[in-house]
Amino acid sequence: MRNLDPVFNPKSIAVIGASREPGKIGHVITKNFLDGGFIGNVYPINPKADEILGMKCYPSVMDVPSKIDSAVVAINSRLVPGVLKECGEKGITGVVVISGGFSEVGNHKLEHKVEKVAEKYSLNVIGPNCLGVLNPAARNDSIFLPIYKMGRPKVGSISFISQSGAVGGCIIDLAARAGVGMAKFVSYGNASVVDEADLLEYLADDDQTRVIVAYLEGVKRGRKFLKVSKKITKHKPIIVLKAGRGKAAAEAARSHTGSLAGSHEVYQAAFKQAGIIEANDLNELFDFSKMLDYPVCTGGRIAIITNGGGTGVLAVDAAEETGLKLASFSKQTEQKLRKLLPEYANATNPLDLIGDADANRYQKALDIVMNDPNVDIVVVIVLFQTVGIDSRVVNVIVKAQETGKKPIAVISTGGEYTEFHRRIMDSYGIPTYSSPYEAMRAVSKFVEYCGK
Amino acid sequence: MALLDFEKTMKLLEQYGIRFSEYGIAESPGEAVKLAKNLGYPVALKVLSHKVVHKSDVGAVKLNLEDEKEVKAAYSKIVKAVGKSKVEGMIVQRMAPEGVELLVGGKQDVQFGPVVAFGLGGIFVEIFEDVSLRICPIDHEEARRMIREIKGYPILKGARGTEPVDVEALIELLVKVSKLMNENRIKELDLNPIIAYPKAYLAVDARIIK
Repeated sequence: MRNLDPVFNPKSIAVIGASREPGKIGHVITKNFLDGGFIGNVYPINPKADEILGMKCYPSVMDVPSKIDSAVVAINSRLVPGVLKECGEKGITGVVVISGGFSEVGNHKLEHKVEKVAEKYSLNVIGPNCLGVLNPAARNDSIFLPIYKMGRPKVGSISFISQSGAVGGCIIDLAARAGVGMAKFVSYGNASVVDEADLLEYLADDDQTRVIVAYLEGVKRGRKFLKVSKKITKHKPIIVLKAGRGKAAAEAARSHTGSLAGSHEVYQAAFKQAGIIEANDLNELFDFSKMLDYPVCTGGRIAIITNGGGTGVLAVDAAEETGLKLASFSKQTEQKLRKLLPEYANATNPLDLIGDADANRYQKALDIVMNDPNVDIVVVIVLFQTVGIDSRVVNVIVKAQETGKKPIAVISTGGEYTEFHRRIMDSYGIPTYSSPYEAMRAVSKFVEYCGK
Repeated sequence: MALLDFEKTMKLLEQYGIRFSEYGIAESPGEAVKLAKNLGYPVALKVLSHKVVHKSDVGAVKLNLEDEKEVKAAYSKIVKAVGKSKVEGMIVQRMAPEGVELLVGGKQDVQFGPVVAFGLGGIFVEIFEDVSLRICPIDHEEARRMIREIKGYPILKGARGTEPVDVEALIELLVKVSKLMNENRIKELDLNPIIAYPKAYLAVDARIIK
């Protein structure tokens, strides 16, 4: 197994290709290290500058007097093999090569050189042709996109690996906006040295990481990937969004029954065999990962609490469609609920707290339902449009989750006011969804994972 | 790409304990009749030729032959359809009783290597693409999941008053095929059809491409 600690948790880092010009990638990366509050030492490397952003600049890593753990490389691709050699000589073991211009443009020879140097010096090279690495807890941020253009997520327990830099950038930005916490992020580009199987192995052992999420276009070593992920999913969920699902190629190969294994179908088979959860798009990737971030595993009996009858019915539909089972409340629960609710309300699942419900009623209902031994997961629908509902209900749900020991998922459909409250709940680690179907899909994936 | 000849194909299946319906090889119409009598009517006649890949497409398969006369007629029809020079002999096979038609296949994937496929035969695979796949090798548990995964699974469990088929035997078969794929250099394997019964199954046709 590769030791990727220097890549994710470096105490000192060299920015090779650091630049004084604000438009340059080498400038953005250096500035991000400063603005992001990186805890260790940063060494800008550029033979043509003495000082960058107030820091002393060195012509080469060889000229830096102290030890360096990691390097970020953003220079012309032709110069990369030479610079990697210097990194190796200097004793750096983790290198992130941002530079493009390798196999992705047909320059396999140059990429091969990178591999050779990496092998000689046992360098763990991420990339080339990648977006960089992000570890919010260590303030390690080599992503070359400016902070004002792409938000940075808070510290959390979901780790993302992305083959594509573009998709990776979207993931980070969306996570930051949605209040989803991140443990590690890496865009690994051409994967010429460190590939997805290596990254999965590292994240499997990473205590901060509870859920691993991957955007893949293909895998380098299919069998290794299958073997590694099969082992990991026994204790950590892996969620994958696989691009290139197009049927055109598969169809062509499907002219007779002997050629049923179109490539994407084989990927899907591998995911199933490995216990990997497959998402169909970026939204699902987030929806699933938020739910699977719960550190507990439970059974699959769902209770639904709502302040809107219609949305409750939609939720029951969605639950059935996604193969979820509704819990039957215990006699005790029903008795307690009957005392709490107006006479005309039913004390059954789905539990309709009626349109005039307020935070107080939610609190009491949650308390009763969360303690019902017949219930494993509580899906709370909160429609913020009603008179009785305001920010206080958020407090109630957060408290219920902290004390209840059962996963809660929230469905809140609405505009600005709703979205504002959703974000708060998400930032407390309560997964929220804008529609019943999205919520139930995610809950069903959670239950499926737990059932394995 | 080369089609593995019939004898070698049978040997490989036998080596892995894959059940194939009873057959014999005849080199003349007279021999075919003798074999048919021993196997018991009805029988099927299929050309033995490494030059014919899709036998039924060229009229080289005749099914449900009930007596001596029909066997002889079928023999000459096949020789005529295929061309005498390509005929190396004739496979005389006992007609398998009716059951649920399935297919089991194997293939090489560029990324993952040998893959095993399972599905219901006929329109289920052709129109609904109702096939489950796994990377080889697989264990019994994975084989069971593979069988349960297809949409047509209720048919195997016995839908509309029919008896359920022997799923345990099919699990065993899938594990064996996955092992065969994993341990031999095979480009493509096609066991199609396989007939499943309440007890056991029978592979009726096999094609292996090396």
